[in-house]
Amino acid sequence: MTLSKLTKPWEAMSYGFIDGSAKREMRRKMLKAVAVPGCQMPYASREVPMARGWGTGGLQVSLTLVKPTTRVKVIDQGADDSVNAASIRRFIASVAGTPTTLDTLEADLIQSRHRIPEEIMCEDQILVLQVPNPEPLRGVQPNMSIARQMHADADYGRMWLQLYEQIVRSGRVMQGASYPSLVHGRHVMTPSPIPRWDVPKLHMSRHLTILSAGREKRIFAVPPFTRVEPLVFDDVPYQVEDHAGLTCYRSGAKGFFMNEIPQDDGSSVYEVSDSEWGVKAIRAKDGEDVIQGETWYKDGEMPQ
Amino acid sequence: MQATPSRSEEEVLGNEAFDALLWSLSRPGQVRTLPTAGETALISALLDRECAASCDDPLLIPAIMQTGAAVADIAMADHVFLGQSANPARLKGVRLGSDLYPDDGATVIVRGQIGSGRGLTLKGPGVDGALDIQLNGISAEFWQTRKTLIRYPMGFDLFVLDGSKVMGLPRSTNVEVL
Repeated sequence: MTLSKLTKPWEAMSYGFIDGSAKREMRRKMLKAVAVPGCQMPYASREVPMARGWGTGGLQVSLTLVKPTTRVKVIDQGADDSVNAASIRRFIASVAGTPTTLDTLEADLIQSRHRIPEEIMCEDQILVLQVPNPEPLRGVQPNMSIARQMHADADYGRMWLQLYEQIVRSGRVMQGASYPSLVHGRHVMTPSPIPRWDVPKLHMSRHLTILSAGREKRIFAVPPFTRVEPLVFDDVPYQVEDHAGLTCYRSGAKGFFMNEIPQDDGSSVYEVSDSEWGVKAIRAKDGEDVIQGETWYKDGEMPQ
Repeated sequence: MQATPSRSEEEVLGNEAFDALLWSLSRPGQVRTLPTAGETALISALLDRECAASCDDPLLIPAIMQTGAAVADIAMADHVFLGQSANPARLKGVRLGSDLYPDDGATVIVRGQIGSGRGLTLKGPGVDGALDIQLNGISAEFWQTRKTLIRYPMGFDLFVLDGSKVMGLPRSTNVEVL
């Protein structure tokens, strides 16, 4: 073995920005995350040119996975055009030379902040969710070492108690986003702050989901065909947001997750949160030839 | 605007190998193709100075050393290359991690013949219902030992290589020998 065999040729920047050693660590941890669905795996979380808490975890996963043919879609709360989504998409394209898209059906890799697209994802697609707080137990156990022990023991009593107290106090579960969910019957995970509307989309899905928290340095995954069950009591069924009857004021799309837009007169109008789905609905209405994929929700209901 | 960095050979190999590994581990029993035959692509994609590997096949040791990974005893190794001999007795030394840190469980790589021989039924995450596969070169005793050792979430994850074909069997998969 010679020194020249151990060294690598000089590069101004590694492909995909993060260096080989960081990528190999991400790869090892992603494999372990897939092997134990819903279990938080610690990782180093390297520096990327973006502040922690703005999607650095998701970005590191995306940068590890991409190759020049990977078509990338980035969304932020359902929208492709928010500043965060646009900057991440532009960054990935510039350091990895990937084509980008806004269309869920065309994408190979979808990095998302807090939404899952309305169209059903297929097995060739990977969903990367950005996670601000990966620890579902933090609200009931701030000490993360003890929380880890609770996960090890599958000791989720306090989690149940929290839900019970919410029902006693308010008559319903008050948890809006990041609804705690039991994965593969073993680990409770936070599905990241996606609305309750989106949690059933993870259950027995066809695509692989990787959830990564860059600031908190934790990565976990939901493989395809894995049970993801929101924690609910037998007599209090899981409820998604009451958006089934709402109609988007711009596209006319009905029965999807909506953004509420307050009006001056105190009333509200609604627009569909998945922006590209709204665009497709408008273009279809205008008689354009657009391919609208099958959606998870049909007429505002998720088929069981 | 800066030019897009180009892909080094190492990056191409590692990325494509990982693509196959991630897909196959997410969908146990389904076969993907590695960019090269044998363990080299996997070694290049996953191993570096932070790893300790145990290797039963002396021919692989130079490739492992090249990455900077330490060649270690099986009890210390995070990657275990069993080579051709899927010896069930060797499995007993494999690191299983702990309930606190299941990620300390090792990744085990064996060679086998995919698509012929012993019938296995797979169930678990990544499998839609149940999947019947055929694997040759791995004894029934191996699967029995695997079952005894794995106490989910503790356990080890398995890759079966057949030339450039790869199949992943994570610890979450229930393997039933037919």
